Amino acid sequence: MNIFCILIIPVILAALPSIVKRPKALGIINACGYLFILIGVSWFISKTDMPVSFYKVFYIDALAAFFIFTTAVVAFATAVFSIGYIERDMAGLLISRNKARAYYTLFNLFSLSMFLAPMAADLAMVWIAIEMTTLASGFLVGFYNTKASIEAAWKYIIICSAGIIFALFGTIIFYYAASCAGVKTLNWVSVFSAAEGMDKNLIKIAFLFILVGYGTKAGLAPMHTWLPDAHSQAISPVSAMLSGVLLKTSVYAILRFAIITNKCVGVDFSSKLFIVFALVSLGVSAGFIIIQKHMKRLLAYSSIEHVGVIFLGFGFGGAIGTYGALFHVLNHAVTKSLMFFGAANIIKKYRKDNMNTIKGVIRSMPFTGIMFTLGMFSLIGMPPFSIFFSEFLVLMAGFSRGLYLSSGLYLFFIALIFGGILYHFSKVLFGEKPDDMKKAKEGLSAKIAFVFLFILMAVLGLAMPLFLNKIILSSIAVIEGV
Amino acid sequence: MYIFLIGIVLMAYSMVAAKRITSLIFSFRIQSAFLFLATLFMAIKEKGLELYIVAGLLLLLKVVLIPNFLSNIVKKLKMNEYVGMFLNPLASLFMAVFLTYLSYVFTTRIIVFKAEAQVISFAASLSVTMIGLFIMIFRMKALSQVIGFLVMENGLFLAASALAGGMPFFVEIVIFMDVFVSVIIFGMFIYKINKLFTHIDVSKLNTLRR
Repeated sequence: MNIFCILIIPVILAALPSIVKRPKALGIINACGYLFILIGVSWFISKTDMPVSFYKVFYIDALAAFFIFTTAVVAFATAVFSIGYIERDMAGLLISRNKARAYYTLFNLFSLSMFLAPMAADLAMVWIAIEMTTLASGFLVGFYNTKASIEAAWKYIIICSAGIIFALFGTIIFYYAASCAGVKTLNWVSVFSAAEGMDKNLIKIAFLFILVGYGTKAGLAPMHTWLPDAHSQAISPVSAMLSGVLLKTSVYAILRFAIITNKCVGVDFSSKLFIVFALVSLGVSAGFIIIQKHMKRLLAYSSIEHVGVIFLGFGFGGAIGTYGALFHVLNHAVTKSLMFFGAANIIKKYRKDNMNTIKGVIRSMPFTGIMFTLGMFSLIGMPPFSIFFSEFLVLMAGFSRGLYLSSGLYLFFIALIFGGILYHFSKVLFGEKPDDMKKAKEGLSAKIAFVFLFILMAVLGLAMPLFLNKIILSSIAVIEGV
Repeated sequence: MYIFLIGIVLMAYSMVAAKRITSLIFSFRIQSAFLFLATLFMAIKEKGLELYIVAGLLLLLKVVLIPNFLSNIVKKLKMNEYVGMFLNPLASLFMAVFLTYLSYVFTTRIIVFKAEAQVISFAASLSVTMIGLFIMIFRMKALSQVIGFLVMENGLFLAASALAGGMPFFVEIVIFMDVFVSVIIFGMFIYKINKLFTHIDVSKLNTLRR
């Protein structure tokens, strides 16, 4: 039953700005709502037996629940961080009071669509939910109405809409294949059960369409061109959502279709495609990270890298690779949100985005600086943080399957990115702060968001909570089609 | 049935060759009308109420509302009507014919269908989708990109009805709503672009590089 709460709370919160006028009060209510959702989701996945379905409209198995949990974590952190961020934007006269209220409406519509995508039982409904995410977040990317942000938003909605048309094309071919095999529906359970009887060629073509279509939205290179612009121009809390969970929603959609494809034509087909796209993404992101000047753009390219790692994990496959990939979905979401919040604070304080001219962050804003440093170490995959372990699992899966070339390339790109990020961010973090700059104190909401994400990041690296372990293991069972 | 398919593909060609945005919108309206007739034809043949509703929605949204909305934008922005071409009409037309040929080869070689009618309609729908993508990529004005998107969507609709006799009814309705909402949002962004940049030439949007 509390599944409906997950959907109803964002709907109520989206309507709330028409009643509550003060942005700060709105922000606090918003954060409470998402805290409630997070608790509800955690309780749901630890207590309920999956899969759960409601009237063939919603169907939640372990895999879906895992992605819902990831979304809930990032949405909560973002909701908390937004309180202070929006207040400062208003104090700085960057946005008006009405605009601040519009932010909360859009934010809730955006997260609603992202909760909806994994819950939908129908593959076409998944498509609709993902298209909704584009439309809702388009306004958040173009939020400041500057030339750069409108340009980014335009590119974002146009490229993703074109991409998503291909995904729908793939879905239609899947539907045709299913109806030839006797199932005239797109309900995921029925399609899956009929998978073996489907035409193999048709499914292969359809999956290619799906991978290109949703891959555009997931940020796989070479369809990633909208991503750096959108992530760097979006209002900062939303950058975290875009990077942390929006990309993952499309990953989820691709996985759903991959499961059907695997059952029909064998694992090899999707696995090879995943590995190729993943390595291209890693290579492209490594190149752009090294030559990058802008902080948020660097983080955006790092998202492409991590999506690459996730797909590499699924491509290498096996229990280890899949475990690593799923674990990485959560780890990247947590760490990247923390980094975007840090970057938001830094850019606010220094009023510029160019990393060559920002210096001494640790001295000028100690709390953010230290969090940002720790986040950076996590992002590049240093132990004992969680990303190290998931990246390591992916590598292990590659070696255990004997894919030495792919694993070698993976290691090489990761090492390049390690160096690149360390080089750029250490310039920003260390050194003397500008003389005329005062030490800054962060607001309470930012601190709560940072601490929450940091605890998750560190705890997941040290010990795996039991309910998460359980949900990931049952997700692996879903992915392997047992 | 074939006459509708021919009409749809020909209208896609005329959009590729069009130099002015008004004629682009006009061709889109005619293409949607052909799509409507094809759906109506199927509805009469199969006597399904749902198909009649889908055809009605098609007429309302794609033949009337969306083209009107787009022409309104053209009028209100008082802009230069030239679509902005990276590739001249003749070369574009060659590309479009080539895309159609490719779609046909792709359909016959890779996908094994039972009926000939299905091969032809799937090839037509794939080629319309590809031509839509072509318009999105090779035309510079924001408005022509929106029309490219709509052409892609028309191709998609054709594929759905050609292959599987349409998507499940509920899905079809929601997709219509979705297209409608997207077009309105595209329109809002076009107004914003026009206000900030005083033009809607997307090839000149290049503040963000690398």
